[in-house]
Amino acid sequence: MTEPSLSFNRRDFLRGSFGVGAAAALAACGFSGDSATPSTSASASAAAPMAQAKVDGDLVYYNWADYCDPTVLSGFKEKYGVNIIEANYDGYAGMLAKIQAGNAYDVALPGARYVELMRKQGLIQKIDKSQLKNADQLFGWGSYFDNPWYDPNSDYSTPFSMWTTGIAYRKDKVTTASGTWQDLWNEQAKGHIYVLDEDDEALGMAALKLGLDVNTANPDDLAKIKDVLISQKPYLRAYSTDDINNLASGNAWIHHAWSGDFLNFINNTATDPENWVYELPTDGSPLNSDAWVIPANAPHPGTALLWLDWIMQPDNVEKNINYIAYPLLSKSGPDIYAKMAANYPSLEVDVSKVVNPTVYKNHNATDQAARNAVWTEVKAA
Amino acid sequence: MSLQVEDALVDATTEKRRSPTRTRLWGVLLAPPAIWMIVFFISSIAIVVMLSFGHVNDVGKAVFGFSLDNYKALADPVYLKVLLRSAMFAIATTVISLVLGYPVAYTIALHGGKYKNALVAFLVIPFFASYLIRMYAWSTLLADEGLVNQLLRDTGLTEGIRFLNTPGAVVAGLVYGSIVFMVLPIYASLERMDTALIEAGKDLYHSPLQTFFAVTVPATRAGMLGGVLLVFLPALGDFVSAQLLGGPSTYMIGNLIQQQFFEGHDQPLGSALTVVLMLALLVFMVFYLRATQRVNRET
Amino acid sequence: MATDAMTQARRGRSVEGKPKFAVAFTALFMFILYVPIVVVVLFSFNSKKSLSVFGGFSTRWYQQFFHDEALLSSLRASLLIAFVAMLASIVLGTMLALALERVSSRPARITGTVALIPLVTPEIVTGVAALLFFAGLGMKLSLVTVILAEITFSISYVAVIVRGRLSSMSDEVEEAARDLGCTPFQALRLVTIPTILPALIAAGLLIFALVFDDFVLAFFTTGVDPQPLSVRIYSEIRMTISPAINAVGTCMLLVSVLLISLSLIVPRLLGRKDSSLDLISGG
Repeated sequence: MTEPSLSFNRRDFLRGSFGVGAAAALAACGFSGDSATPSTSASASAAAPMAQAKVDGDLVYYNWADYCDPTVLSGFKEKYGVNIIEANYDGYAGMLAKIQAGNAYDVALPGARYVELMRKQGLIQKIDKSQLKNADQLFGWGSYFDNPWYDPNSDYSTPFSMWTTGIAYRKDKVTTASGTWQDLWNEQAKGHIYVLDEDDEALGMAALKLGLDVNTANPDDLAKIKDVLISQKPYLRAYSTDDINNLASGNAWIHHAWSGDFLNFINNTATDPENWVYELPTDGSPLNSDAWVIPANAPHPGTALLWLDWIMQPDNVEKNINYIAYPLLSKSGPDIYAKMAANYPSLEVDVSKVVNPTVYKNHNATDQAARNAVWTEVKAA
Repeated sequence: MSLQVEDALVDATTEKRRSPTRTRLWGVLLAPPAIWMIVFFISSIAIVVMLSFGHVNDVGKAVFGFSLDNYKALADPVYLKVLLRSAMFAIATTVISLVLGYPVAYTIALHGGKYKNALVAFLVIPFFASYLIRMYAWSTLLADEGLVNQLLRDTGLTEGIRFLNTPGAVVAGLVYGSIVFMVLPIYASLERMDTALIEAGKDLYHSPLQTFFAVTVPATRAGMLGGVLLVFLPALGDFVSAQLLGGPSTYMIGNLIQQQFFEGHDQPLGSALTVVLMLALLVFMVFYLRATQRVNRET
Repeated sequence: MATDAMTQARRGRSVEGKPKFAVAFTALFMFILYVPIVVVVLFSFNSKKSLSVFGGFSTRWYQQFFHDEALLSSLRASLLIAFVAMLASIVLGTMLALALERVSSRPARITGTVALIPLVTPEIVTGVAALLFFAGLGMKLSLVTVILAEITFSISYVAVIVRGRLSSMSDEVEEAARDLGCTPFQALRLVTIPTILPALIAAGLLIFALVFDDFVLAFFTTGVDPQPLSVRIYSEIRMTISPAINAVGTCMLLVSVLLISLSLIVPRLLGRKDSSLDLISGG
């Protein structure tokens, strides 16, 4: 689907016979069909020859806030004499919605299943690897990501970082951790527990606790997941993806957290690092990765390719690992990260497990709607 | 300004007093803003209403239709609960703003002396500095290990209080964000009030407090109604306060709508929620306008 | 007799003294109002990257702010949005106010009611409507769409403020001007507009401030252009926040103090007793 998420089909429109004059007038000037949507330019550029890595304008950059070393950004600006127009998202669903709405970015960083989704919907363009000088850093040395599950041959994406989802807690407040997801129902920390505000993570966590598949869309399973998540509410402080700040403010005693954010917090913000534990629950922990993509409607695909190349240059990889504290998926990345996380065996991210059943996968429309509904009802309850 | 809003609303629903002036100029002046409002406001609201009868098709696109499915889905008790919660929060916000705002308006209007203007300016300034930054400053101050709790622990009286991520925090955030819109209209109506009334009241009633409730409060009912309108409406549709200060069970209808448009991918359902919110407000406005007209008749 | 005396005493007290409770309450109110402001200003000069421990005076966050291209471009975007929305809504809103005040036909009254609906509509509704409208037209979200949405939202504010001023002015003045040979347009330009100038200034300042700080509409209608400042601040608050935000907040505070002072002073310079502040507050 290359159309923005809202587009108006003439037959649907006429069937709902409304007599609203103004809206009917609008229908005549653009509401009538898919042709008036940005899809035209998107599909055209997908069919067009692949972009060349040369400056063709400023870089329109779409990423999590603060998920890149500022000196890597400023270095890019200096080297190529371009500006970086930065926009941030706070969840993959929101990112996808903006891109589907026709917002044109040059580069974006979706999670693995969103790469697959965007590829299937024609929202991202093929990347000519021969244009990337540092391609050998990412591919061809036996990396799993030469041919990852979400994007055959990494034709449409370049892998970036990887992490597990687990539980962070402080030892001075919590002494009864069980090492399972049950810890997000810990009595000692009642009212000080945070769960990640992401549908996949919350539903996946509950599924693992119940011994179910993280990707389940079975109605019975979903009903159980909904009940167990609602049963958790009295224990929770809030739903939030801002794990670093919640740990730093002292509001969180236990936090459903991403491995990299935990290490980032330990390295940069924690005043008492030895007080904190990152636990990989024994009932299974989700593993996820993300990758850079160039949207089909990118205004400056040339500059975008230069960025993809820049971000995998070994010195920038090192800077970024030190800044964001996630293992990056280039040749040199794992070693730098391993040194950094040496004191925390639970923070090890094992690439070989990327094919395991705790990786978030895509669903058909009906199943996805059912999962969305559960998450909405949990949050509304 | 707020008083004028409410005057104008009443005007709009009652007959005009002025005799018509027959010049084409006014018609010409009316056309551009009227066309603008029809194109950008009326028609966009119409689209929301129409889409609320639509659905998401197999490829995840929102399309028009003619079904009540979205409204049937909203019959789920979960949504009713959210609507009621939003109404409770908005009512609490309005009442608290009124109780806190009235004495402030009163003090400035009747005892501000020559500093009156300066005091009003002083009151308004914070509201022109970013609302989000002020909320963030509060959340830092009130964090479990923030400044306020540190001070509380130093006094030895308490182990610290959990302020954030509670329904109270959401309401406090709403009050903090909009109380100025309660103070200003009350201030304006106190300013307009004839102080001889209070003097007369003092002869009639025994205590200043009695005078206050028997004379001052009724005389400023119009201002209070204006303030109620300006505080209640934004509070009912708010999603920022619950987002930044709320807990696991403080979801408001604004959060639900926001989620449908930015996360849930069900724009038709989000549109239906929006229509429900508009209907709730319509009911409120009918009662409100009746109340204002009654006040206008009495004064 | 006794009660008389007591009443006398009470009356005496309440006439000469201010109600101490109300004054103390107002002082406390102002204090609480300003606590976060003081924190923002104070910690914008913090040498540490902390929002609870003050490490000493430093201007590092200002330097960071002034060198942060992303933040600066957001600031410029917000200034542009506020400025354009202010100009356009002043023009359209004033036209609306004049027409509504001087025409009494049925269509005019309906228009008047319709034009006020945005005032009583929660922003999230306006935001959703604008988003669907632009998406349906196939318009890419950008600063242009933000500006269009903000103008729509602002017209009614301007109309209400200006109308408040117009209604206190008799149209006989205009008629007198026309009797002296003015065309209706000349009467408008030479008589009416100068009279309502303070209201225009007040409305302009108010709209500028409201739009500059507006988050909800901008959040729904912004595209990939530099994001408005409020949207950027929101995403930073939800994710990792930099203390440079405090420097941004302090600068915004300075600007608002400046604007409000202007709104107090300018009408006086123009030789009018009523300040714009009165008009904003409805006085």
